[in-house]
Amino acid sequence: MTDSLTQRWMRPCTLVYGVLMGLTLITWAVGMLELQGLGVTFLVLGLALLKGHLIGDWFMGLRSVRGFWRWVIVFWLLLVGGLVGAAFWLSV
Amino acid sequence: MQYQSQSVAKLYFVAAIGLFVGQILFGLILGLQYVIGDFLFPAIPFNVARMVHTNLLIVWLLFGFMGAAYYLVPEEAERELFSPGLAKLLFWVFLIAGALTVLGYLLVPYSSLADLTGNDLLPTMGREFLEQPTITKLGIVVVALGFLFNIGMTILSGRKTVVNLVLLIGLVGLAVLFLFSFYNPDNLVNDKYYWWWVVHLWVEGVWELILGSILAFVLIKTTGVDREVIEKWLYVIIAMTLITGIVGTGHHYYWIGTPEYWQWWGSVFSAMEPIPFFMMTVFAFNMVNRRRRNHPNQAAVLWALGTAVMAFLGAGVWGFLHTLAPVNYYTHGSQITAAHGHMAFYGAYVMVVLTIISYAMPMMRGRQAANSNRSQVLEMWSFWLMTVSIVFITLFLTGAGILQVYLQRFSENPMPFMMVQEKISLFYWLREIAGLVFLVGLVLYVASFFVGSKDPEVAVEQAASPTA
Amino acid sequence: MRQLNPLERQGEALRYPPGDLAVWIFILAELSVFAIFFAAYAFTRMQHVALFDQYQATLDRTSALYNTLALITASYFVVRAVAAIRENRAAQSRNWLWAGVGMGLLFLVIKGAEYAHHFAEGVRLSTNTFYMFYLSLTFFHFMHVILGIIVLAVLAVRTGQGHYDAASHTDIESGASYWHMVDLVWLILFPLVYVMH
Ligand code: HEM
Ligand code: HEM
Ligand SMILES: [Fe+2]
Repeated sequence: MTDSLTQRWMRPCTLVYGVLMGLTLITWAVGMLELQGLGVTFLVLGLALLKGHLIGDWFMGLRSVRGFWRWVIVFWLLLVGGLVGAAFWLSV
Repeated sequence: MQYQSQSVAKLYFVAAIGLFVGQILFGLILGLQYVIGDFLFPAIPFNVARMVHTNLLIVWLLFGFMGAAYYLVPEEAERELFSPGLAKLLFWVFLIAGALTVLGYLLVPYSSLADLTGNDLLPTMGREFLEQPTITKLGIVVVALGFLFNIGMTILSGRKTVVNLVLLIGLVGLAVLFLFSFYNPDNLVNDKYYWWWVVHLWVEGVWELILGSILAFVLIKTTGVDREVIEKWLYVIIAMTLITGIVGTGHHYYWIGTPEYWQWWGSVFSAMEPIPFFMMTVFAFNMVNRRRRNHPNQAAVLWALGTAVMAFLGAGVWGFLHTLAPVNYYTHGSQITAAHGHMAFYGAYVMVVLTIISYAMPMMRGRQAANSNRSQVLEMWSFWLMTVSIVFITLFLTGAGILQVYLQRFSENPMPFMMVQEKISLFYWLREIAGLVFLVGLVLYVASFFVGSKDPEVAVEQAASPTA
Repeated sequence: MRQLNPLERQGEALRYPPGDLAVWIFILAELSVFAIFFAAYAFTRMQHVALFDQYQATLDRTSALYNTLALITASYFVVRAVAAIRENRAAQSRNWLWAGVGMGLLFLVIKGAEYAHHFAEGVRLSTNTFYMFYLSLTFFHFMHVILGIIVLAVLAVRTGQGHYDAASHTDIESGASYWHMVDLVWLILFPLVYVMH
């Protein structure tokens, strides 16, 4: 039953879409409120990485892949997050 | 060979090999002049020999590319060449113009050559790689236009394949970018800026498309792997080449008076330039491993794989070595640059031209698909001799370069240029010896065309081979 | 086979992601360029914290918000397009693709207005290091959005012409993956350049 399977995948994607929109608003609000500090910075970075992970897992469909390709986006996010996080941490 | 007109390529290939020999002889002269300063002075000064060495290189590679196009375009388009007569005519025009130019370099002082050829009317001379008199440059443009017309008409009215289209884009790009050699602003910064549009955007841009399509053609023919698979790789390689290579020009804009952001753009984008070369390596080995048959011309397969590896090493690895601005700050214009220049030019463009020659020549000389065993064995020997000597030339120059950079630019008490040159002269001697081995390899290469011509052809083994 | 919908074999995971492997290799290469650029931004900022913070404040976060929402929405539309073609609903798939194109164009318009504003104020690449990064990063991404839009539009046209169905639609999956990559990169770029300080 292709139909139900596709829909079973579509429904969480719609949910993910909602979450992505919500998290974006949070990030924006943090910016507008001029919240400061390392904690805030890491929160914003963490949200961005989480959003990226959702895109990779659901929109790109990597959830249903195994092996190397399952993890490429996660790996990329960790790399970018690690480097950027380190730079911001070191600059306070 | 499926179409009669493909055989015009033979002329071009023969000329290419002849000029190749000349290029190497002048390389050896140069190498000796590095350690024996007055060798052949005043008959052939270093600057003249250098000009002949590099210009012959470019010209024979162009002959090689044109020959490659005349050979593969009809086969891909599944029709005869639009005009074989035009191809022959342009061959002679190009050869004679080239010969006269080199004679001009050798026989009259460069400034007299400039006067003789009316350089003051449209000054374009005097810049590395673009030393040709303006009239020679105009001749090149005419030849290129005629060539593109011929090839273009063949492609447009025949079967359109990805290999042909990529090759055509590469060749058109080559010609268009060459037009910047006519732009010679007085401002040195601007001059250098656009000079790289020819030099860099050639070797790290449009020539890579030519390289990719020739390699793809030979791999399609020798491995029997589906065209669709190979075409897909070609697309990705080309996209990556252009994305990284165009802005990558910035790695030449660090210290010439251009804005500072080039240090970032140049570093980031050119650092990614090895990717397409790496993809090419993976691609070539992948295709050979998935081959449907063992082609009898194993020498051509060896050249193809060699190209993929050496291009990555020379352009990718040795290019990356000095491409980041903080590194280039020290290595700029040192022997590291020369090391990279040699391996990259040899690994990518010399080798791909030798690949297509190796693949096409036997058929143009009346063989079914390949040369005799003896000839192929000799050719493979020449492959290894030339390739290993270029590796050594590169390593010696890299050694020389590291010392040079250290002594002259990095240490607490920097030494003057000429003093450093003396200290590293051992490396130059070693380079010259490696160059002699290269010459031996080249002689064997030429000999391989004359050896075993009476022997039977290597059997065409159609049987599918187990994938390696 | 690769055309198969990953969901049709939920039990046994796939070895390769949806779409063409060559495109995925391309995506990885692109992601590496962006990773280097992001790291370069962050590490350069270490030397110029005050400058970066000062000029970051001149950016228009609300435009960036709209742009982020537009890209996420475009991505979601593209997901729907893939789902539709997997169920053989080509016309719907085509419409979702066009909707994705629309969102992409919206992004270009908003971003274009932002650029116009900055240029009018005399901001250039050489103005200062922050603006150099801001313009370089966002413009490089901008070019990717344009490329992504072209890809989606071509796919929409071809889908409309009936080139794809439930059994064979690797191109759509490839184009979708590429578009998601463009979105993914922006999701990092937005907080990094507009918000984090
Ligand atoms: C087949 C491709 C390539 C060829 C034939 C080639 C050839 C050359 C040559 C001849 C030069 C010296 C130019 C001069 O006279 O000043 C040069 C310079 C340079 N190349 Fe390449 N190159 C290739 C690819 C690359 C790649 C992929 C990179 C980077 C990853 C690179 C990085 C550089 C850099 C940074 C310089 C400037 C060196 C300096 O500052 O002195 N090249 N290349
Ligand atoms: C196929 C083989 C060869 C290729 C592709 C090649 C290519 C080149 C190129 C591109 C340059 C300009 C480099 C630059 O601007 O940095 C050059 C210069 C030079 N080449 Fe070669 N070459 C080859 C063989 C040789 C050999 C065998 C020798 C000598 C043993 C040699 C000696 C030199 C010397 C001495 C220079 C001048 C370097 C300078 O100006 O400091 N080359 N060659
Ligand atoms: Fe370059």
